[in-house]
Amino acid sequence: MRTRNTMGFFGKIALVLTVISLVSCTASKLIDIYFDPNMDLGAVRTAAVMPFDNLTREQMAADRVRDVFINKLLSTGEIYVVPSGEVKRGILLLGISNPSSPSTEETVKLASLIKVDVIITGTVREYGEVRSGTTSANIISLSLQMIEGLSGKIIWTASSTKGGISTKDRLLGGGGRPMNDVTEEAVNDILNKFFF
Amino acid sequence: MIFSINFSSKYKKSAVLLLTFYLFVLSCAPVREPLKFALVVSPPSLEKLQIAAFPVENLSGTRAPARKIGESLRAQLKKEGLNILDDNALEEFMSGHRLRYTGALDIETARAFRDEIGIDAVLITSLELYDESYPPKISLISRLVFTGDTPQILWMDSAGLSGDESPGLLGLGLIEDPEILLKNALENLSRSLADYISVGKQPIAVSKQGKDHKFYPKFFYRSPILSPDLKYRIAVMPFLNKSERKNAGDIMMLHFLETLRQFENFDVIEPGIVRQNLLSFRIIMNEGISFANAGLIFSTLEADADLILSGTVVDYQDYHGSEGTAKVDFSVLVIEKKSHEIVWTSKSYNTGDEGVFFFDFGKVYTAHIMASEMISAIGALLAE
Repeated sequence: MRTRNTMGFFGKIALVLTVISLVSCTASKLIDIYFDPNMDLGAVRTAAVMPFDNLTREQMAADRVRDVFINKLLSTGEIYVVPSGEVKRGILLLGISNPSSPSTEETVKLASLIKVDVIITGTVREYGEVRSGTTSANIISLSLQMIEGLSGKIIWTASSTKGGISTKDRLLGGGGRPMNDVTEEAVNDILNKFFF
Repeated sequence: MIFSINFSSKYKKSAVLLLTFYLFVLSCAPVREPLKFALVVSPPSLEKLQIAAFPVENLSGTRAPARKIGESLRAQLKKEGLNILDDNALEEFMSGHRLRYTGALDIETARAFRDEIGIDAVLITSLELYDESYPPKISLISRLVFTGDTPQILWMDSAGLSGDESPGLLGLGLIEDPEILLKNALENLSRSLADYISVGKQPIAVSKQGKDHKFYPKFFYRSPILSPDLKYRIAVMPFLNKSERKNAGDIMMLHFLETLRQFENFDVIEPGIVRQNLLSFRIIMNEGISFANAGLIFSTLEADADLILSGTVVDYQDYHGSEGTAKVDFSVLVIEKKSHEIVWTSKSYNTGDEGVFFFDFGKVYTAHIMASEMISAIGALLAE
């Protein structure tokens, strides 16, 4: 009788821990995405990716991430992305002074000029090496916004942070994964948040 | 038991009906454009080809003895028995035409070469890398352009060598003297050109035909519009250079020219014609090619391109000394003439030490070799 009570106590603890861990997993996934509930994202067929905003110390970070994102988005075969040269032509023709964060009017005009359904803007918040003690690793953090070309409304946003110093890096060293791999992983993560 | 077919009138009727139906179905099949073959080049005779060798174009971004390399190359070619125009005659012609750019051949200059001094082909050589520090490294890209009504590339080859790429037993294969390495590179190129002149043998720089998956693009998009049965005339534009390496955009363009012309599906346009178009239309590509620019290039008869290949190079890195690794990172974009759409896009990046675990086995020593392999893989995917 006494043995049965002890087993029940440990069982309850295990159950509570399982529920807590499941709840925490579910909550973390939905924090960094926004969808406009009135927008059918399946109708988006063409997109223009604007130059990304660069908040990092790495001068070329925004261009590098944008290059990966454009190619990755095109390679999904779901959305047609107009060439960067065409986007630049539109920016110059309309005289958009801050292409990484265009105003609503500018967005609508640009989308109409280069004939796209949506305009994608982005910000690279972190890119490059991070250090903690003697350990170092590559990290990337970026966020994207999708703006509808007709109304200039934000219809989708998502962000992702990948890389950084893991427990394995701390224990074994090695400098983390290459920057290109981390970037690709973050872009994949963002695209999964769009196509899920 | 023996089976036999008795062709009675009933069967004959059925056969005729079947044949008619078959022919009808065949006629309904979409009409495919026949393979567009390259312009037929008929130089007088390869052995009697009169060649003018342009001074070497220095794309290395560093100080390099380009003049000396050019002289050595001309001497080497003469040794191989080729008819090379004298330096004085070439200088006179170039100053007469105020010819300063030696990286490509436009239509007017090609005609002048042929009509005024009877030159059949022009040899254009670009120095991609010249590093004298130990271990020395050198990369050269050379092409022979026919001076017909439309300049066309007859032959193209390259040499990318590093002094420590074949150390051999006890380091006996190490090359420490840059002069020896240069001599080897020039000999390779001259022999390859001589082979083409004497027996029409084209070089095969696509060593693995894209079989090494290590060099495959990391991700790509290929439109179904691209057909493996068609031959496309392709204009390769200088890449947008976002790397720290000077002239990396032009270097990538030359690599694509060299590699793509080895695939039967592509007829590459001499960059001199493309450059002439860019200048005449005052096209400045700030951030890569736009559809408006592409439309202008597609509209010209001289280029008559079916595809325009452009791209961005993010890293094109060679290393100094014996420690380090080469690095190449670029993306490619191909626009098609009829649909005015992107039909190919890809992203490739590699480092020279990828997949290397023991004693530098499998290491790629120069960005030149790595870019060639990466582009070969793209060419194979584009052509399939």
